[in-house]
Amino acid sequence: MNSKSISGNGVKGRLTLTLKSRETLAAYAFLAPFMVFFSIFVVRAVVEAVRMSFYDWHILRPMRPYIGIDNYVELINDKVWWISLQNTVVFTALTVVGTTIVALAAAVAVTRPIKGQSFFRVLLYMPSLLSVGAVGLIWVWLLNTQFGIINYGLSFLGIRPVNWLGDPGLVIPSLSLTTIWWGFGFPMLIFIAGLQGIPEQLYEAARIDGGSNRDLFLYITLPLLRPTILFVTVTGVISHFQVYGQPFIMTTGGPGRSSYSLIFYLYQIAWTAFRMGYGAAVAVCIAVIMAVMTSVQFIVLSRRIEY
Amino acid sequence: MKPERSILPQHTITYVFLTLLGLFVVFPMLIAVSQSFMTNQEVNRWPPQIIPVEPTLQAIHSVLTQQDLRLDLWLRNSLIAATGYTAAVLVLCAPAAFAFARLRFPGNNILFGFLLVTIMIPSQVTLIPNYLLMRDLQWLDTFNALVFPGAANVFGVFLLRQFFIQVPSDLEEAAVLDGAGYFGRFWHVILPLSRNALTALGIFVFLFHYNDLFWPFIVTNSLETRTLPVGLAILNSSYAGQYRPMVLSGAVLSSIPILIVYIIFQRQIIQGITLTGMGGR
Repeated sequence: MNSKSISGNGVKGRLTLTLKSRETLAAYAFLAPFMVFFSIFVVRAVVEAVRMSFYDWHILRPMRPYIGIDNYVELINDKVWWISLQNTVVFTALTVVGTTIVALAAAVAVTRPIKGQSFFRVLLYMPSLLSVGAVGLIWVWLLNTQFGIINYGLSFLGIRPVNWLGDPGLVIPSLSLTTIWWGFGFPMLIFIAGLQGIPEQLYEAARIDGGSNRDLFLYITLPLLRPTILFVTVTGVISHFQVYGQPFIMTTGGPGRSSYSLIFYLYQIAWTAFRMGYGAAVAVCIAVIMAVMTSVQFIVLSRRIEY
Repeated sequence: MKPERSILPQHTITYVFLTLLGLFVVFPMLIAVSQSFMTNQEVNRWPPQIIPVEPTLQAIHSVLTQQDLRLDLWLRNSLIAATGYTAAVLVLCAPAAFAFARLRFPGNNILFGFLLVTIMIPSQVTLIPNYLLMRDLQWLDTFNALVFPGAANVFGVFLLRQFFIQVPSDLEEAAVLDGAGYFGRFWHVILPLSRNALTALGIFVFLFHYNDLFWPFIVTNSLETRTLPVGLAILNSSYAGQYRPMVLSGAVLSSIPILIVYIIFQRQIIQGITLTGMGGR
């Protein structure tokens, strides 16, 4: 306790001070459980990952020599790292754009004053509840070249069987399509909430002025939804950048390395090659890339609060 | 005034669009269900069959009885681990959020700012050190490894703090006049008034954990301790080549429990997910 201020303030000061320090003690007690876990599993782990990335740390070898920045030098010259990065970026771009468009269209449709609104809402969110395992198993078969339903449907249009998951140029778009199907439900719900925040009077006024549905969408809905669109795209980028389950289950990274994602590559290094030191360097680089993207998110999203 | 809901002709385009989108969503699931009742020969046939000619329970029976597949255990493990994880997140995050939202103490803002900054550090960077820690603690292949490492969820603290701040302070003051201490204020005032937020966070982290693949895959390694997503990956890699309907029926069977829960609690789940999404801004 701080005796100096007690003597300065007399009895009243002492009373408030004890109350204050009691509040401080209580606050630390409330925080303690969380902070213990946070220190062990986040703070310690991050520090340890950075430290390990400077060592030649192989799980089966007892000697773990310090090698400076060698892991990072290796990473810069690692072709597979760059392939994985490129795949991840392409996948993320396709998936985020596709998901946002589908989710926005769906949200606009289910917020129309129609019968069956909530039925469609419940239905369209359904795939989002499935695990990536179930989604992968279902879609691998839909996309099958020989017996898949998608190629069957296309055959009616005169299109010859497409090797969706076996063609290096098509595998990422195919995983993307799967992911759009799986994941558009969450942004749809966010868009619905955003659309419900737009005052109905705006639409009525525009209709009186002779605005068509298209005008209403372009000049009222889209501009007022801009913050929501930003939120959905930026959080989408961050979550899809971490893609792992879809290539792991549907293609095991193939054909060749055409569907290696960054996290998939991290898995290969650390848990099939057991190179924990190099894996830590890969993880640190992924983390830096994502931290930069998240900071951009914070900047972009906090800017909107100004108006 | 709220416009009346209708099925007027002006909504034709909306209905056509929603029907097409609905088919896009439902068709893959229905095909999987339908082909679960087929034989291997019937599935591997061109043109593909949509409806089984002679429905059979063979695939479903074998996926449930094969020695190296334990769908029942995997489902149980997933439910226990996700429940334990959700409980751990709530138990750790709610008191911390209460301290940040309602108590004055030196370092409040600095500490909270520090936590916010760590949101930017993706969890992947912690995977290797935490995996090695699990190994050293001999927690590999146990529920501890599935429950504790991710339990200090900063997003959870952030979200709950947002809601706790909004609780009017006169309610808390009334409780203080009635002699409530800090714990009383937390337990009898803040928590009951934030039930929606707690439910929303609970649903959100439960679903996240229930569907997680990477971490459960690396920290479990025996048949009996796998979770559902990991088990499905194993099912796919060992049976897709030889008996496709088994793989599909595994996907279908494993999805049924969560879909039933969803249909019963659809409103709460959709509200909860929306609330977390909006609160997370």
